[in-house]
Amino acid sequence: MRMDGGKFFGAYRAFSGIRDAVVLNHVPVGCNWGAGMFRTISDQADVRQACTVMHEREIVFGGEESLRRALLRADELYDAPLFLVIAGDVPSIIGDDVAGIVDELSLEKEVLWTEAAGFSGSMRSGYEEALLRLAPLMSGCDTTEGSINLIGFCPDDFKVESDVKEIKRSMKRAGIEVNCVISNCSSEEFKKAPAAELNVVFGQGTDLAKLMKEEFGIPYTELDYPYGIEGTEKFIEYVSESLGTGWDADLEHEIEPFKKVYLYLHELCKTPVSIIGDFHAGPLAEFLAAELGFEVEHLSSSGSDLDRQRFEQEVRGSDTMMIFGSSFERDLARELEVPLVRFNYPVFDQVSIYDNAPYAGFGGAAFLTETIINAIMGLGDF
Amino acid sequence: MERQLQDSSRKGPSLLQSTFRERAFNGIYEVVARQNHFYGINCKLSGSVYVVSEIEGAVPLVHGSCGCAFHHRLSPRKLFSPISDLACTEMDETDVIRGGEEKLRAGIIDVYQRYDPALIVILPTCVSGLIGDDIPGVIESLRSKISCDILHAPSEGFSHRDGDSVEVSLKNAAKSMKCSSAPPTAQDLRGCGHEEMMFALADQLMEEQDVIENSVNLEAFGRHTYRFWNDVEEMRRILGKIGVELNTTVPTTSVDAIKRAPSAPLNIVVTRNTRWADRMKERFGTDYVKKWYFYVGFDKVGKFFIEMASKLGLEGEAEDAIRRERKRALGDLSESRRLFKSYSFAISTQSFLFNPNLLSVYTEDLQMPLRWILIDSQPMKSMKISRDTVEMMTGNLIDIAEKQDMEIEILVDPSSEKMARVAKGVDWLLTDRTGPPSEKEGDLGMMNIATASNLIHQTGFCGIVEFGKHLAWKLQRRTKKDAQKDASNPHRKLIVSRFDYEEDCYPMIKDPMCSSSRRMWSEIWC
Repeated sequence: MRMDGGKFFGAYRAFSGIRDAVVLNHVPVGCNWGAGMFRTISDQADVRQACTVMHEREIVFGGEESLRRALLRADELYDAPLFLVIAGDVPSIIGDDVAGIVDELSLEKEVLWTEAAGFSGSMRSGYEEALLRLAPLMSGCDTTEGSINLIGFCPDDFKVESDVKEIKRSMKRAGIEVNCVISNCSSEEFKKAPAAELNVVFGQGTDLAKLMKEEFGIPYTELDYPYGIEGTEKFIEYVSESLGTGWDADLEHEIEPFKKVYLYLHELCKTPVSIIGDFHAGPLAEFLAAELGFEVEHLSSSGSDLDRQRFEQEVRGSDTMMIFGSSFERDLARELEVPLVRFNYPVFDQVSIYDNAPYAGFGGAAFLTETIINAIMGLGDF
Repeated sequence: MERQLQDSSRKGPSLLQSTFRERAFNGIYEVVARQNHFYGINCKLSGSVYVVSEIEGAVPLVHGSCGCAFHHRLSPRKLFSPISDLACTEMDETDVIRGGEEKLRAGIIDVYQRYDPALIVILPTCVSGLIGDDIPGVIESLRSKISCDILHAPSEGFSHRDGDSVEVSLKNAAKSMKCSSAPPTAQDLRGCGHEEMMFALADQLMEEQDVIENSVNLEAFGRHTYRFWNDVEEMRRILGKIGVELNTTVPTTSVDAIKRAPSAPLNIVVTRNTRWADRMKERFGTDYVKKWYFYVGFDKVGKFFIEMASKLGLEGEAEDAIRRERKRALGDLSESRRLFKSYSFAISTQSFLFNPNLLSVYTEDLQMPLRWILIDSQPMKSMKISRDTVEMMTGNLIDIAEKQDMEIEILVDPSSEKMARVAKGVDWLLTDRTGPPSEKEGDLGMMNIATASNLIHQTGFCGIVEFGKHLAWKLQRRTKKDAQKDASNPHRKLIVSRFDYEEDCYPMIKDPMCSSSRRMWSEIWC
């Protein structure tokens, strides 16, 4: 079994990243609840979603009338420029004509939609397809020199605000501006995404980057998520070379915080650890091994549940002293009595509300190291 | 004795400590689920998954797409404890076209081999429900190959409960309060998943047994909560005094214990629905007694135990035991009661409307001179409860006060000025509202009893005793002047009080998007 939210979750995570849009889930109550729950845990004051409440009567008579009614009412109630409709399992099976309903209504707001039956694909595929559905919003515009778009984010990624802020700070030092963060931006920012000189894809959103290359001639590159001093340096070097902005790396200042704990870092060298997650996992493993000197015993980054089970079994039989993963790894960490550092979606038992506490970028390398040391020293705290 | 009962005898935190732990360590998760009910309701599948997760050795097998399983690992009832052992058939487009029965068959064998479970519970989803997979047929075809038990429970998300279910339930309870001899009729809360799963246990898993005289089963769940073991232990203790043995808790026990549940001649039902108990009665002749949520206070709790015991022919034993328990409890409370009598009180409450019998706990069991009850009907409004029902519930409270000849003034949704006057007119203004005071209430130096007052709802005597002692301790420790000083301290500015809130949905933050999302939900869910 895959540990994967499926296509509906992927689409929801992509659509809800357009921060001034309303997501209308054309689904039974549970899908709407689940997607919203995973999101509101990390941001309780940002609720902009509704549901068409597909019930048995919709199964019998079709859900088109429910969708029509919900769109008309949403048009009256919400002060938002954009509605994004996600059609889940049930309308896909019963064959609701979502496009027909969206086309027939003359609403004040713009409406886009995507089909995202959970059975028809993975979370990644839902994310990719939903971003493609947003693409018609984009329009050709003047290029802003030395600017890039970052693609692959979700609004419910752990540390998303901090990481983006820190990546922007690091890029600025190299004279590079971040034009748009997809999908964690306003609809206006999304529309102006074609102003960037380069699209940088972290793990997902490649299809949109390809489309933007075809439509707007914007090149794209797929890079590792910038964890660590080295990882961030490589990332900035690559982008600055691509844009021809040039960059003189002066990392003395970034190394400074580590001096304060250099003895701990000596002691932690060769500590066996295990890592599980999505596309963030590989780059994190690289930082832990190459820069902190940890021994990465097991790394699982495919999202497949068979891999996950194998991962759990292997970790149980290993010398792992620390696990890096999502909140779903909490039971395993407790069982093995080792610390868990949460870095990967979904994180529902920790919060990240201060946007200067990143895991990515130069600053993130220090803060992540601080988190790791505190987790180890705090083991057994009750 | 069952494993959980052995566990329950361990020395752990006290009942009071468990109550505070529950609020601090689990409440922090639950508040999000509670708040999200302004914008939606959870899937029927989540209720079924939750019940399975309470059964030792049982593994839920979700027959649907991987997203359903991913999502339901985080059940709204136990956000603090995600479900690890949960399997899924991972239905895809091919299964939707050709049917998912083969995948289900393979899934059951896989779960059997991988988890070595005592029970596999097949939970269909919207997808398998819509395409009409023959789940009982698949289970039957595997009986000879799989030695563990297998059952299925309807969990399709599209057959969820209706929007008026809370209104119907509260109206039903409010009407019955008018006539104490006619308890409310049990309500079929179809679509919450919990009830469907309980019915499946009674229908498909339990087996005919030799009856063990004077034993009962208790409907109880929440193995991952802090209060569970304390509450089961208190129930077992009192049952023991009557001469009744607790056979098992259902569903929170082992698979074998559930199978043997019919060995008890009586079930104690605590949830709104009695379908599972009705099914046990049909299949095994097991009688049941309903422990309604409004049976609180020494008097009502005593009546419940006597009613329960009368079904076993132990009425006399119960009367004696309850008399002794009550005497002991009153003895334990004597100092506290003396202290309470020296003060005057008002209570700002949200819970008295839901359960007017709480009034007698304060005035009779604890002997607190209560001058005012300030009813906050906001939770009712936020749940779309009709004005008629709210008035009926308020009327019930007034009736109880009048019957007991109490000189209590009951105010519904008083203004902030009125509340301030009340606060000045008594020694102590208590509040059972969770969280900080609302803007309307202001900080009047109220003493918050929200967490501790949960103890009152325990089916037993210890809860009220512990609550009384705790309240007395708080009153002795802190003077009204201290509280008022805190309230009037200009440097005391709670961060949460810096936000604007929706007046009729406190504590929902005032935000146009949140507000519209709530209205959408409230209008569309019907």
